[in-house]
Amino acid sequence: MDPDTTMGGPHGRFPATQLSLLEAAGSGVFPNEALERVSALYWKPVYRFIRAKFGKSNEDAKDLTQGFFATALERDFFGRFDPAKASFRAYLRMAVERFAANEQASAGRLKRGGSIEFEPVDEQAVATESPEEIFEREWRRQLFALALDDLRGYCVASGKGSQFDIFAAYDLSADGRPSYADLAAKHSIAETAVTNYLAWARRMLRHFVNERLRGVTAGERDLRDEMRWLWT
Amino acid sequence: MDLSDAVIDHLRHVAALPDLTGTRYELESEIGRGGMGVVYRARDRQLDRPVALKVMDAVLAGEAQLIARLEHPSIVPVYEAGMLPDGRAFYAMKLVSGASLDRFIASGPTLSERLRVIRRVGEALAFAHARGVMHRDLKPQNVMVGEFGEVYVMDWGVEAVAGTPAFRAPEATLDRRSDIYSLGALLRSVLPVPAPPALLAIAAKAMRTDPAARYPDARALLADIERFQDGLAVEAWSEPLWHRVRRFGSRNAVLLWLLAAYAGVKFLLFFFRNI
Repeated sequence: MDPDTTMGGPHGRFPATQLSLLEAAGSGVFPNEALERVSALYWKPVYRFIRAKFGKSNEDAKDLTQGFFATALERDFFGRFDPAKASFRAYLRMAVERFAANEQASAGRLKRGGSIEFEPVDEQAVATESPEEIFEREWRRQLFALALDDLRGYCVASGKGSQFDIFAAYDLSADGRPSYADLAAKHSIAETAVTNYLAWARRMLRHFVNERLRGVTAGERDLRDEMRWLWT
Repeated sequence: MDLSDAVIDHLRHVAALPDLTGTRYELESEIGRGGMGVVYRARDRQLDRPVALKVMDAVLAGEAQLIARLEHPSIVPVYEAGMLPDGRAFYAMKLVSGASLDRFIASGPTLSERLRVIRRVGEALAFAHARGVMHRDLKPQNVMVGEFGEVYVMDWGVEAVAGTPAFRAPEATLDRRSDIYSLGALLRSVLPVPAPPALLAIAAKAMRTDPAARYPDARALLADIERFQDGLAVEAWSEPLWHRVRRFGSRNAVLLWLLAAYAGVKFLLFFFRNI
Protein backbone atom coordinates (compact mmCIF):
# COMPACT_ATOMS: atom_id res chain seq x y z
CA MET A 1 0.00 0.00 0.00
CA ASP A 2 1.28 3.48 -0.78
CA PRO A 3 2.23 5.55 2.21
CA ASP A 4 -0.25 7.86 3.88
CA THR A 5 -0.15 11.54 3.16
CA THR A 6 1.56 14.07 5.39
CA MET A 7 -1.04 16.71 4.52
CA GLY A 8 -3.24 18.01 7.29
CA GLY A 9 -0.47 17.49 9.84
CA PRO A 10 -0.42 19.04 13.29
CA HIS A 11 -0.73 22.78 13.48
CA GLY A 12 1.60 24.56 15.88
CA ARG A 13 -0.70 27.48 16.72
CA PHE A 14 -1.40 28.08 20.39
CA PRO A 15 -5.12 28.03 20.97
CA ALA A 16 -6.71 30.71 23.04
CA THR A 17 -9.89 29.65 24.83
CA GLN A 18 -11.88 28.56 21.86
CA LEU A 19 -15.43 29.31 20.96
CA SER A 20 -17.65 26.34 20.33
CA LEU A 21 -18.78 25.80 16.76
CA LEU A 22 -22.16 27.37 17.44
CA GLU A 23 -20.65 30.30 19.34
CA ALA A 24 -18.34 30.84 16.39
CA ALA A 25 -21.41 30.90 14.15
CA GLY A 26 -22.95 33.62 16.27
CA SER A 27 -19.76 35.70 16.44
CA GLY A 28 -19.42 36.24 12.72
CA VAL A 29 -16.14 34.34 12.31
CA PHE A 30 -18.10 31.35 11.17
CA PRO A 31 -17.65 29.39 9.02
CA ASN A 32 -14.06 29.95 7.84
CA GLU A 33 -12.44 29.94 11.26
CA ALA A 34 -14.58 27.04 12.38
CA LEU A 35 -13.69 25.10 9.24
CA GLU A 36 -10.01 25.68 9.88
CA ARG A 37 -10.32 24.21 13.36
CA VAL A 38 -12.40 21.32 12.14
CA SER A 39 -10.07 20.47 9.30
CA ALA A 40 -7.01 20.67 11.59
CA LEU A 41 -8.50 17.92 13.70
CA TYR A 42 -10.50 15.97 11.14
CA TRP A 43 -8.39 15.99 8.00
CA LYS A 44 -6.43 12.85 8.80
CA PRO A 45 -9.32 10.87 10.30
CA VAL A 46 -11.43 11.66 7.21
CA TYR A 47 -8.61 10.72 4.88
CA ARG A 48 -7.96 7.42 6.67
CA PHE A 49 -11.66 6.68 6.82
CA ILE A 50 -12.04 7.19 3.06
CA ARG A 51 -9.05 4.99 2.38
CA ALA A 52 -10.36 2.21 4.60
CA LYS A 53 -14.03 2.45 3.68
CA PHE A 54 -13.74 3.00 -0.08
CA GLY A 55 -10.37 1.43 -0.78
CA LYS A 56 -8.99 4.61 -2.31
CA SER A 57 -5.36 5.28 -3.20
CA ASN A 58 -3.39 7.90 -1.34
CA GLU A 59 -3.96 10.52 -4.07
CA ASP A 60 -7.65 9.74 -4.57
CA ALA A 61 -8.28 9.80 -0.84
CA LYS A 62 -6.46 13.13 -0.55
CA ASP A 63 -8.56 14.57 -3.38
CA LEU A 64 -11.77 13.32 -1.82
CA THR A 65 -10.82 14.65 1.60
CA GLN A 66 -9.91 18.01 0.14
CA GLY A 67 -13.13 17.95 -1.89
CA PHE A 68 -15.16 17.16 1.19
CA PHE A 69 -13.89 20.14 3.16
CA ALA A 70 -14.27 22.47 0.16
CA THR A 71 -17.82 21.27 -0.41
CA ALA A 72 -18.61 21.56 3.30
CA LEU A 73 -17.85 25.26 3.08
CA GLU A 74 -19.93 25.72 -0.08
CA ARG A 75 -22.96 23.80 1.08
CA ASP A 76 -23.45 25.21 4.54
CA PHE A 77 -22.40 21.94 6.12
CA PHE A 78 -22.02 23.46 9.60
CA GLY A 79 -25.28 25.36 9.40
CA ARG A 80 -27.18 22.13 8.89
CA PHE A 81 -25.67 20.44 11.94
CA ASP A 82 -28.28 19.76 14.61
CA PRO A 83 -26.60 19.02 17.97
CA ALA A 84 -29.83 17.50 19.27
CA LYS A 85 -29.50 14.61 16.80
CA ALA A 86 -25.87 13.54 17.05
CA SER A 87 -22.43 14.61 18.15
CA PHE A 88 -20.54 16.71 15.64
CA ARG A 89 -18.03 13.87 15.25
CA ALA A 90 -20.76 11.42 14.25
CA TYR A 91 -22.42 14.00 11.99
CA LEU A 92 -19.17 14.69 10.17
CA ARG A 93 -18.32 11.02 9.68
CA MET A 94 -21.75 10.30 8.22
CA ALA A 95 -21.44 13.32 5.95
CA VAL A 96 -18.06 12.11 4.71
CA GLU A 97 -19.50 8.70 4.02
CA ARG A 98 -22.37 10.16 2.00
CA PHE A 99 -20.05 12.53 0.16
CA ALA A 100 -17.51 9.85 -0.76
CA ALA A 101 -20.25 7.40 -1.79
CA ASN A 102 -21.82 10.04 -4.05
CA GLU A 103 -18.48 10.92 -5.55
CA GLN A 104 -17.77 7.27 -6.16
CA ALA A 105 -21.17 6.76 -7.77
CA SER A 106 -20.60 9.78 -10.04
CA ALA A 107 -17.21 8.44 -11.05
CA GLY A 108 -18.80 5.07 -11.78
CA ARG A 109 -21.46 6.69 -13.96
CA LEU A 110 -18.79 8.54 -15.91
CA LYS A 111 -17.15 5.24 -16.66
CA ARG A 112 -20.56 3.99 -17.87
CA GLY A 113 -20.94 1.45 -15.20
CA GLY A 114 -17.28 0.57 -14.95
CA SER A 115 -16.46 -1.40 -11.86
CA ILE A 116 -15.15 0.37 -8.79
CA GLU A 117 -11.46 -0.13 -8.28
CA PHE A 118 -10.62 -1.34 -4.84
CA GLU A 119 -7.06 -1.09 -3.83
CA PRO A 120 -5.62 -3.29 -1.13
CA VAL A 121 -5.71 -1.47 2.17
CA ASP A 122 -3.79 -2.09 5.32
CA GLU A 123 -4.57 -5.77 5.89
CA GLN A 124 -4.07 -5.66 9.59
CA ALA A 125 -6.47 -2.74 9.90
CA VAL A 126 -9.07 -4.55 7.80
CA ALA A 127 -8.79 -7.65 9.92
CA THR A 128 -9.18 -5.95 13.28
CA GLU A 129 -10.86 -2.58 12.79
CA SER A 130 -13.82 -1.23 10.89
CA PRO A 131 -13.41 2.04 8.94
CA GLU A 132 -15.48 3.70 11.68
CA GLU A 133 -13.05 2.47 14.32
CA ILE A 134 -10.13 3.68 12.24
CA PHE A 135 -11.83 7.07 12.04
CA GLU A 136 -12.26 7.24 15.82
CA ARG A 137 -8.70 6.09 16.46
CA GLU A 138 -7.23 8.63 14.06
CA TRP A 139 -9.43 11.31 15.56
CA ARG A 140 -8.01 10.60 19.02
CA ARG A 141 -4.47 10.47 17.65
CA GLN A 142 -4.86 13.80 15.88
CA LEU A 143 -6.54 15.40 18.88
CA PHE A 144 -3.63 14.43 21.13
CA ALA A 145 -1.09 15.44 18.50
CA LEU A 146 -2.63 18.92 18.27
CA ALA A 147 -2.87 19.25 22.04
CA LEU A 148 0.76 18.18 22.42
CA ASP A 149 1.78 20.83 19.90
CA ASP A 150 -0.17 23.35 21.95
CA LEU A 151 1.53 22.16 25.12
CA ARG A 152 4.98 22.33 23.58
CA GLY A 153 4.31 25.82 22.23
CA TYR A 154 3.05 26.96 25.59
CA CYS A 155 6.06 25.51 27.43
CA VAL A 156 8.52 27.16 25.04
CA ALA A 157 6.72 30.50 25.28
CA SER A 158 6.57 30.43 29.07
CA GLY A 159 10.09 29.18 29.78
CA LYS A 160 9.00 25.71 30.90
CA GLY A 161 11.08 23.74 28.44
CA SER A 162 12.39 21.39 31.16
CA GLN A 163 8.87 20.48 32.16
CA PHE A 164 8.06 19.52 28.60
CA ASP A 165 11.31 17.62 28.12
CA ILE A 166 10.69 15.56 31.25
CA PHE A 167 7.10 14.95 30.26
CA ALA A 168 8.12 13.95 26.72
CA ALA A 169 10.88 11.64 27.98
CA TYR A 170 8.52 9.87 30.33
CA ASP A 171 5.00 10.00 28.91
CA LEU A 172 5.73 10.04 25.18
CA SER A 173 8.28 7.26 25.29
CA ALA A 174 7.21 4.41 23.05
CA ASP A 175 9.74 1.89 24.36
CA GLY A 176 10.52 1.78 28.07
CA ARG A 177 10.18 4.73 30.44
CA PRO A 178 13.14 6.14 32.33
CA SER A 179 12.93 6.13 36.12
CA TYR A 180 12.13 9.31 38.02
CA ALA A 181 15.63 9.07 39.53
CA ASP A 182 17.23 8.99 36.05
CA LEU A 183 15.20 11.99 34.93
CA ALA A 184 16.02 13.88 38.11
CA ALA A 185 19.74 13.21 37.66
CA LYS A 186 19.68 14.15 33.98
CA HIS A 187 17.97 17.49 34.65
CA SER A 188 19.72 18.12 38.00
CA ILE A 189 16.49 18.41 39.94
CA ALA A 190 14.94 16.52 42.87
CA GLU A 191 12.77 13.48 42.24
CA THR A 192 9.80 15.26 43.79
CA ALA A 193 10.26 17.98 41.16
CA VAL A 194 9.96 15.29 38.45
CA THR A 195 6.66 14.20 40.02
CA ASN A 196 5.45 17.79 40.11
CA TYR A 197 6.56 18.54 36.56
CA LEU A 198 4.77 15.45 35.27
CA ALA A 199 1.60 16.30 37.19
CA TRP A 200 1.69 19.84 35.83
CA ALA A 201 2.30 18.78 32.23
CA ARG A 202 -0.46 16.17 32.34
CA ARG A 203 -2.86 18.70 33.77
CA MET A 204 -1.94 21.16 31.00
CA LEU A 205 -2.26 18.46 28.36
CA ARG A 206 -5.75 17.69 29.60
CA HIS A 207 -6.54 21.39 29.41
CA PHE A 208 -5.31 21.69 25.82
CA VAL A 209 -7.15 18.56 24.72
CA ASN A 210 -10.36 19.90 26.21
CA GLU A 211 -9.80 23.28 24.58
CA ARG A 212 -9.33 21.64 21.20
CA LEU A 213 -12.52 19.72 21.82
CA ARG A 214 -14.36 22.89 22.74
CA GLY A 215 -13.45 24.36 19.37
CA VAL A 216 -15.06 21.49 17.46
CA THR A 217 -18.18 20.85 19.50
CA ALA A 218 -21.55 22.52 19.44
CA GLY A 219 -21.75 23.77 23.01
CA GLU A 220 -21.44 22.67 26.62
CA ARG A 221 -23.57 19.56 26.30
CA ASP A 222 -21.79 18.28 23.20
CA LEU A 223 -18.44 19.14 24.81
CA ARG A 224 -19.27 17.26 28.01
CA ASP A 225 -20.37 14.20 26.02
CA GLU A 226 -17.17 14.25 23.99
CA MET A 227 -15.03 14.73 27.09
CA ARG A 228 -16.79 11.84 28.73
CA TRP A 229 -16.32 9.68 25.68
CA LEU A 230 -12.65 10.56 25.43
CA TRP A 231 -11.58 10.38 29.06
CA THR A 232 -13.60 7.46 30.39
CA MET B 1 4.29 14.04 15.98
CA ASP B 2 3.85 10.31 15.40
CA LEU B 3 1.95 8.88 18.34
CA SER B 4 1.49 5.16 18.72
CA ASP B 5 -1.77 3.74 20.08
CA ALA B 6 0.07 2.66 23.23
CA VAL B 7 1.31 6.21 23.88
CA ILE B 8 -2.19 7.63 23.31
CA ASP B 9 -3.72 5.11 25.70
CA HIS B 10 -1.08 6.01 28.26
CA LEU B 11 -1.75 9.74 27.82
CA ARG B 12 -5.49 9.23 28.14
CA HIS B 13 -4.89 7.35 31.34
CA VAL B 14 -2.39 9.67 33.02
CA ALA B 15 -4.10 12.90 31.94
CA ALA B 16 -7.43 11.62 33.27
CA LEU B 17 -6.05 10.71 36.70
CA PRO B 18 -7.06 13.34 39.27
CA ASP B 19 -4.24 15.57 40.41
CA LEU B 20 -4.72 15.62 44.20
CA THR B 21 -1.90 18.08 44.86
CA GLY B 22 -2.90 20.35 47.73
CA THR B 23 -5.72 18.12 48.93
CA ARG B 24 -5.80 15.84 51.97
CA TYR B 25 -6.39 12.76 49.81
CA GLU B 26 -4.09 10.15 48.40
CA LEU B 27 -5.23 8.15 45.40
CA GLU B 28 -5.40 4.37 45.85
CA SER B 29 -7.39 2.78 43.04
CA GLU B 30 -10.31 3.21 40.69
CA ILE B 31 -13.63 1.83 41.92
CA GLY B 32 -15.99 2.55 39.06
CA ARG B 33 -17.30 4.89 36.40
CA GLY B 34 -20.63 6.47 35.70
CA GLY B 35 -22.89 9.34 36.51
CA MET B 36 -20.63 11.98 34.96
CA GLY B 37 -17.46 10.92 36.67
CA VAL B 38 -15.05 8.34 37.95
CA VAL B 39 -15.04 7.10 41.53
CA TYR B 40 -11.72 6.32 43.18
CA ARG B 41 -10.81 4.77 46.46
CA ALA B 42 -8.59 7.26 48.27
CA ARG B 43 -7.18 7.77 51.74
CA ASP B 44 -7.90 10.82 53.82
CA ARG B 45 -4.45 11.47 55.29
CA GLN B 46 -5.71 13.79 58.02
CA LEU B 47 -8.31 11.43 59.44
CA ASP B 48 -6.55 8.28 58.30
CA ARG B 49 -9.64 6.69 56.82
CA PRO B 50 -10.60 5.43 53.38
CA VAL B 51 -13.03 7.50 51.33
CA ALA B 52 -14.72 7.25 47.96
CA LEU B 53 -13.63 10.16 45.82
CA LYS B 54 -15.80 11.09 42.88
CA VAL B 55 -14.14 13.21 40.22
CA MET B 56 -16.51 14.77 37.72
CA ASP B 57 -15.76 14.55 33.99
CA ALA B 58 -16.49 18.21 33.45
CA VAL B 59 -16.65 21.29 35.60
CA LEU B 60 -19.84 20.43 37.43
CA ALA B 61 -19.66 21.50 41.03
CA GLY B 62 -23.42 21.38 41.57
CA GLU B 63 -23.74 17.65 42.19
CA ALA B 64 -21.80 17.62 45.46
CA GLN B 65 -23.79 20.50 46.95
CA LEU B 66 -26.90 18.77 45.77
CA ILE B 67 -26.08 15.56 47.58
CA ALA B 68 -24.61 17.27 50.64
CA ARG B 69 -28.11 18.65 51.26
CA LEU B 70 -29.51 15.13 51.45
CA GLU B 71 -28.96 13.69 54.91
CA HIS B 72 -30.74 10.36 54.93
CA PRO B 73 -29.81 6.88 56.17
CA SER B 74 -30.01 5.53 52.61
CA ILE B 75 -28.07 8.30 50.89
CA VAL B 76 -24.27 8.16 51.00
CA PRO B 77 -23.00 11.00 53.19
CA VAL B 78 -20.71 13.55 51.53
CA TYR B 79 -17.71 14.58 53.64
CA GLU B 80 -16.27 17.33 51.49
CA ALA B 81 -16.59 18.94 48.08
CA GLY B 82 -13.90 20.85 46.25
CA MET B 83 -12.09 21.67 43.05
CA LEU B 84 -8.97 19.95 41.72
CA PRO B 85 -6.08 22.03 40.37
CA ASP B 86 -7.19 21.09 36.85
CA GLY B 87 -10.62 22.65 37.40
CA ARG B 88 -12.57 19.43 37.81
CA ALA B 89 -14.99 19.23 40.68
CA PHE B 90 -14.69 16.37 43.16
CA TYR B 91 -16.35 15.24 46.33
CA ALA B 92 -15.33 12.81 49.03
CA MET B 93 -17.96 10.51 50.48
CA LYS B 94 -18.26 7.53 52.76
CA LEU B 95 -16.68 4.44 51.28
CA VAL B 96 -19.43 1.84 51.38
CA SER B 97 -18.33 -1.76 51.52
CA GLY B 98 -20.87 -4.18 50.19
CA ALA B 99 -22.32 -5.28 46.89
CA SER B 100 -24.20 -3.43 44.20
CA LEU B 101 -27.85 -4.43 43.92
CA ASP B 102 -27.35 -6.61 40.85
CA ARG B 103 -24.68 -8.62 42.68
CA PHE B 104 -26.82 -8.78 45.78
CA ILE B 105 -29.69 -10.21 43.73
CA ALA B 106 -27.35 -12.72 42.11
CA SER B 107 -26.65 -14.11 45.59
CA GLY B 108 -30.30 -15.29 45.74
CA PRO B 109 -31.94 -13.34 48.59
CA THR B 110 -35.54 -14.01 49.63
CA LEU B 111 -38.42 -12.01 48.18
CA SER B 112 -38.81 -10.18 51.45
CA GLU B 113 -35.12 -9.14 51.42
CA ARG B 114 -35.44 -7.95 47.83
CA LEU B 115 -38.50 -5.88 48.68
CA ARG B 116 -36.79 -4.43 51.74
CA VAL B 117 -34.04 -3.01 49.50
CA ILE B 118 -36.60 -1.55 47.09
CA ARG B 119 -38.44 0.05 50.01
CA ARG B 120 -35.24 1.65 51.31
CA VAL B 121 -34.51 2.98 47.82
CA GLY B 122 -38.06 4.30 47.52
CA GLU B 123 -37.80 6.04 50.89
CA ALA B 124 -34.53 7.73 49.85
CA LEU B 125 -36.18 8.79 46.59
CA ALA B 126 -39.23 10.21 48.39
CA PHE B 127 -36.92 12.11 50.75
CA ALA B 128 -34.85 13.56 47.90
CA HIS B 129 -37.94 14.48 45.86
CA ALA B 130 -39.31 16.35 48.85
CA ARG B 131 -36.13 18.46 48.72
CA GLY B 132 -36.35 19.05 45.03
CA VAL B 133 -33.60 16.62 44.04
CA MET B 134 -34.06 13.97 41.38
CA HIS B 135 -31.87 10.96 40.88
CA ARG B 136 -32.11 10.66 37.06
CA ASP B 137 -30.09 7.47 36.76
CA LEU B 138 -31.52 4.91 39.14
CA LYS B 139 -30.30 1.40 38.30
CA PRO B 140 -28.99 -1.65 40.19
CA GLN B 141 -25.38 -0.49 39.87
CA ASN B 142 -26.25 2.71 41.74
CA VAL B 143 -27.68 0.92 44.76
CA MET B 144 -25.28 -0.57 47.28
CA VAL B 145 -26.26 -3.15 49.86
CA GLY B 146 -23.82 -3.08 52.77
CA GLU B 147 -22.56 -6.08 54.69
CA PHE B 148 -24.98 -5.35 57.56
CA GLY B 149 -27.95 -4.94 55.24
CA GLU B 150 -27.76 -1.16 54.97
CA VAL B 151 -28.90 0.24 51.63
CA TYR B 152 -27.33 3.26 49.92
CA VAL B 153 -28.50 5.02 46.80
CA MET B 154 -25.53 6.56 44.98
CA ASP B 155 -24.79 8.74 41.97
CA TRP B 156 -27.49 11.33 42.41
CA GLY B 157 -27.86 12.98 39.09
CA VAL B 158 -27.37 16.33 37.57
CA GLU B 159 -28.94 17.83 34.46
CA ALA B 160 -26.50 16.35 32.00
CA VAL B 161 -26.99 12.70 32.92
CA ALA B 162 -29.08 10.91 30.33
CA GLY B 163 -29.87 7.74 32.28
CA THR B 164 -29.38 4.08 31.48
CA PRO B 165 -31.68 2.83 28.69
CA ALA B 166 -33.27 -0.16 30.46
CA PHE B 167 -34.13 1.95 33.51
CA ARG B 168 -34.72 5.32 31.89
CA ALA B 169 -38.22 6.69 31.38
CA PRO B 170 -39.14 7.21 27.71
CA GLU B 171 -40.01 10.91 28.00
CA ALA B 172 -37.48 13.42 26.70
CA THR B 173 -37.75 15.79 29.63
CA LEU B 174 -37.18 14.06 32.94
CA ASP B 175 -39.08 14.93 36.10
CA ARG B 176 -39.91 13.19 39.36
CA ARG B 177 -42.24 10.77 37.58
CA SER B 178 -39.24 9.64 35.54
CA ASP B 179 -37.59 8.50 38.77
CA ILE B 180 -40.81 6.60 39.59
CA TYR B 181 -40.42 4.82 36.25
CA SER B 182 -36.85 3.88 37.16
CA LEU B 183 -37.96 2.68 40.59
CA GLY B 184 -40.53 0.45 38.85
CA ALA B 185 -37.82 -0.87 36.53
CA LEU B 186 -35.62 -1.49 39.55
CA LEU B 187 -38.44 -3.40 41.26
CA ARG B 188 -39.00 -5.51 38.17
CA SER B 189 -35.28 -6.26 37.92
CA VAL B 190 -35.11 -7.66 41.45
CA LEU B 191 -38.19 -9.90 41.25
CA PRO B 192 -37.65 -13.66 41.13
CA VAL B 193 -39.06 -15.81 38.33
CA PRO B 194 -41.95 -16.52 38.48
CA ALA B 195 -42.86 -13.27 40.23
CA PRO B 196 -46.12 -12.59 42.09
CA PRO B 197 -48.50 -10.96 39.57
CA ALA B 198 -49.33 -8.16 42.03
CA LEU B 199 -45.68 -7.09 42.17
CA LEU B 200 -45.35 -7.27 38.39
CA ALA B 201 -48.45 -5.08 38.18
CA ILE B 202 -46.89 -2.55 40.59
CA ALA B 203 -43.74 -2.41 38.45
CA ALA B 204 -45.85 -2.09 35.28
CA LYS B 205 -47.90 0.76 36.73
CA ALA B 206 -44.73 2.62 37.71
CA MET B 207 -43.39 2.06 34.20
CA ARG B 208 -46.37 3.32 32.21
CA THR B 209 -45.37 5.30 29.13
CA ASP B 210 -47.68 8.13 30.14
CA PRO B 211 -46.12 9.73 33.25
CA ALA B 212 -49.58 10.76 34.50
CA ALA B 213 -50.64 7.09 34.62
CA ARG B 214 -47.76 6.16 36.95
CA TYR B 215 -47.81 6.43 40.73
CA PRO B 216 -47.92 10.11 41.67
CA ASP B 217 -44.91 9.71 43.97
CA ALA B 218 -42.53 7.17 45.50
CA ARG B 219 -44.64 6.86 48.67
CA ALA B 220 -47.68 5.71 46.68
CA LEU B 221 -45.59 2.98 45.09
CA LEU B 222 -44.18 1.94 48.47
CA ALA B 223 -47.69 1.87 49.93
CA ASP B 224 -48.70 -0.62 47.22
CA ILE B 225 -45.71 -2.83 48.02
CA GLU B 226 -46.68 -2.69 51.70
CA ARG B 227 -50.24 -3.69 50.81
CA PHE B 228 -48.85 -6.67 48.95
CA GLN B 229 -46.71 -7.66 51.91
CA ASP B 230 -49.69 -7.31 54.25
CA GLY B 231 -51.74 -9.61 52.01
CA LEU B 232 -54.07 -6.81 50.87
CA ALA B 233 -55.22 -5.97 47.36
CA VAL B 234 -52.79 -3.68 45.53
CA GLU B 235 -53.91 -0.56 43.73
CA ALA B 236 -52.10 -1.48 40.54
CA TRP B 237 -53.92 -4.75 39.89
CA SER B 238 -57.57 -5.65 39.61
CA GLU B 239 -57.14 -9.27 40.55
CA PRO B 240 -59.41 -12.10 39.30
CA LEU B 241 -61.94 -13.59 41.70
CA TRP B 242 -60.06 -16.86 42.24
CA HIS B 243 -56.97 -14.90 43.19
CA ARG B 244 -58.95 -12.75 45.61
CA VAL B 245 -60.36 -15.88 47.23
CA ARG B 246 -56.93 -17.46 47.48
CA ARG B 247 -55.47 -14.26 49.00
CA PHE B 248 -58.37 -14.14 51.43
CA GLY B 249 -57.63 -17.73 52.30
CA SER B 250 -53.96 -17.20 52.94
CA ARG B 251 -54.60 -14.01 54.96
CA ASN B 252 -57.23 -15.71 57.12
CA ALA B 253 -55.78 -19.18 57.25
CA VAL B 254 -56.10 -19.56 61.02
CA LEU B 255 -59.69 -18.38 61.04
CA LEU B 256 -60.56 -20.69 58.18
CA TRP B 257 -58.90 -23.62 59.89
CA LEU B 258 -60.85 -22.87 63.07
CA LEU B 259 -64.08 -22.62 61.10
CA ALA B 260 -63.32 -25.87 59.32
CA ALA B 261 -62.52 -27.55 62.64
CA TYR B 262 -65.73 -26.19 64.14
CA ALA B 263 -67.73 -27.41 61.15
CA GLY B 264 -66.03 -30.79 61.38
CA VAL B 265 -66.82 -31.16 65.07
CA LYS B 266 -70.42 -30.08 64.49
CA PHE B 267 -70.71 -32.62 61.72
CA LEU B 268 -69.30 -35.41 63.85
CA LEU B 269 -71.60 -34.52 66.72
CA PHE B 270 -74.55 -34.48 64.35
CA PHE B 271 -73.42 -37.77 62.87
CA PHE B 272 -72.96 -39.53 66.21
CA ARG B 273 -76.25 -38.20 67.54
CA ASN B 274 -78.12 -39.69 64.65
CA ILE B 275 -76.68 -43.14 64.57
